[in-house]
Amino acid sequence: MAAAALCLRNLRVRYGDRFAVDGVSIEVRRGEVVGLVGPNGSGKSTTLAAAAGLLDPFEGDVAALGLLQSADPAGFAMHIGFVPQSCALYEELTVAENVAFFGKLFGLAGRDLRRRTVRALSRVGLGDRGGHRVGALSGGLKQRANLAAALIHDPAVLLLDEPTAALDCAARDRFFTDLDRLRDDGHAILFTTHHGEEAEGACDRIAVLERGRLVACGEPRDLLRAPAGGRALLYGHLRSRPLRFAVQALRTKLAAGVKLEVTGRRLRLAAGSNEDLGRALAAVLAEGFELESFRTPPAALDRRPAPLATEAA
Amino acid sequence: MTPPPFLGLVFTLAGKDWRLFWSDRRAAFLTFAVPIALASAFGLIFAKPTDARATTRLPLAIVIEDDGPFAKRVAEELLASDRCEATILTRSEAEARIADRRPSVALVLPHGFERLIEWRPTAIQVLHHPLANAERQIAEGIAMEIVMRALAKARFGAAVEPPLRTEAAAVGGPNAAFHSYSHSFSGMTLQYLLFWGMESGLLLLRERQRGPWQRLRTAPVPLAALLAGKALATAAIAMLVVAFTFAFGHFAFGVRIQSWAGFGLLALAASALAAAAGLLVAAIGGSEARARSLSILAILGVSMLGGLWLPAFLLPNWLRDISLALPTTWAMRGLDAATWQGLGLATILRSTGIVAAFALAFLTLAAWRLSVCESNRKRGLA
Repeated sequence: MAAAALCLRNLRVRYGDRFAVDGVSIEVRRGEVVGLVGPNGSGKSTTLAAAAGLLDPFEGDVAALGLLQSADPAGFAMHIGFVPQSCALYEELTVAENVAFFGKLFGLAGRDLRRRTVRALSRVGLGDRGGHRVGALSGGLKQRANLAAALIHDPAVLLLDEPTAALDCAARDRFFTDLDRLRDDGHAILFTTHHGEEAEGACDRIAVLERGRLVACGEPRDLLRAPAGGRALLYGHLRSRPLRFAVQALRTKLAAGVKLEVTGRRLRLAAGSNEDLGRALAAVLAEGFELESFRTPPAALDRRPAPLATEAA
Repeated sequence: MTPPPFLGLVFTLAGKDWRLFWSDRRAAFLTFAVPIALASAFGLIFAKPTDARATTRLPLAIVIEDDGPFAKRVAEELLASDRCEATILTRSEAEARIADRRPSVALVLPHGFERLIEWRPTAIQVLHHPLANAERQIAEGIAMEIVMRALAKARFGAAVEPPLRTEAAAVGGPNAAFHSYSHSFSGMTLQYLLFWGMESGLLLLRERQRGPWQRLRTAPVPLAALLAGKALATAAIAMLVVAFTFAFGHFAFGVRIQSWAGFGLLALAASALAAAAGLLVAAIGGSEARARSLSILAILGVSMLGGLWLPAFLLPNWLRDISLALPTTWAMRGLDAATWQGLGLATILRSTGIVAAFALAFLTLAAWRLSVCESNRKRGLA
């Protein structure tokens, strides 16, 4: 197993006398997406802020690529790309100026900076928007610019705080496509979300926080309540957003017991067996739905967090 | 890839603020236009001829109630005097006009004024506006001189020139002729620098509540570099304001800089003071609204006491003593010395040193306070 790119060990963070995070230990490896899930006030954002070096832990350690944040803050920061929930860019400057500015803070300059700026923008699909002012962008584009600024120094670890909170369905789909690509590029990704469904579809592992404590952490299959008879699942990204009547027409073609959910460009198919799932997928494709990508996790996370299955330490 | 050196970070951060400043062209234009407009207005209001030959003449009303030849002669002498601008009015007209301060003083040559020739006690009545005590005293002096001269002529039959005369010489420099525009451009520029510093501080206060600050704090950037970058950008723009304002003052109103080295050093110190004051606003201001209100009060206070609006000699003595503890007083003294007073570099350097010391003290206090705030925030105490 690959060594952890980000390691939170027995993290305790307090606000005044209250511990907002209490003994959380999580590891994120390169090429892995870990979702921090939990209700409001569960300590997700505080955990992420401590992981980014914004908060000093009362106890415990944060390390990136083996470098302790407390021992070498500057060296640690070089491995971290942080994407705050709100747009953390200067609205008066252009997207490229913002990205280049943050690149300079990481020691980039000259041709290398220009090359990396172009690359960061193209990685989030903003190659043609570099000259636009951030303030003039839509919410979805701002979030992508926000992500580009975190990618400029090609950090090993990406920390994203509620990245989809202000996005519409289409922008959310696009974001998860970007996230898949970033995972494939070898980034270790830790992000927070309220939506179990998002974590279920996008994460390799999920950490469930409740009142500052880690109550579950593991691969979705570890956290599953296995439904009776088992379920075969497929998550996919469609090339374009389908019309509602086309989705309704598709549902009539599917066998009974096959469940189809389409949100924006995201698609979820659930069937009683792998054979039924295969037939359902064939029906989807036959109806002209083009899949950009898909994955078939062994099972899916129940809507409610499961009781503690594993606790990483 | 390694973190950039400290100075590199400072220049990068300052460059960002510089670009943010110019990104709103209209606001940037106003940053330069407002001090010019204020200075021009103040200069115009207080403009006085600086040529010694073109002395200011006191507007004066003469009321003649005695119909004798001596009263008539005195009135003629007053009308011909180059020290006053006299008009003959009736008493009721004079009283009505004095209420409007047009003019503020009237000399009444009363019934029986003719008896003065016989050396019998007689009084000239001086009517004046309650706020025109200075003009009253000048009018009394003029009246006394002209009446005594006329009396001597009447009694001895010839004009008598007194053996005494006065010679005026301005103290303070070889070319120390008061130039109202020099004073107003110095004062209004200094005041605006403080307002610019306040704006910059409020911007930092706002920035600290927003996303970009979080991103900056996760980058390998020490707090000292963040503050130095902010101060550098603020001071650089302040220097530009000084240069632009005085260039306008020179070409439009003849504001003359007599010591370029002294002026440059003082402008640098005043710009640093504006930047440090801005950081102090961000450090101790609390909320933005509270910081704005308190800063405006403080800036207007130190501007008035420091002689930025009106020359400090118009203030009561006790206020002038207090104002010595203010950086604006010394900055104003330095700029006056470098412009219309034409004093030497040594005098300007003294003022510059004091202003720079204030800037350093403000900067230290702001940096300490902000580092405590940031440390508390990181420890979850803020």
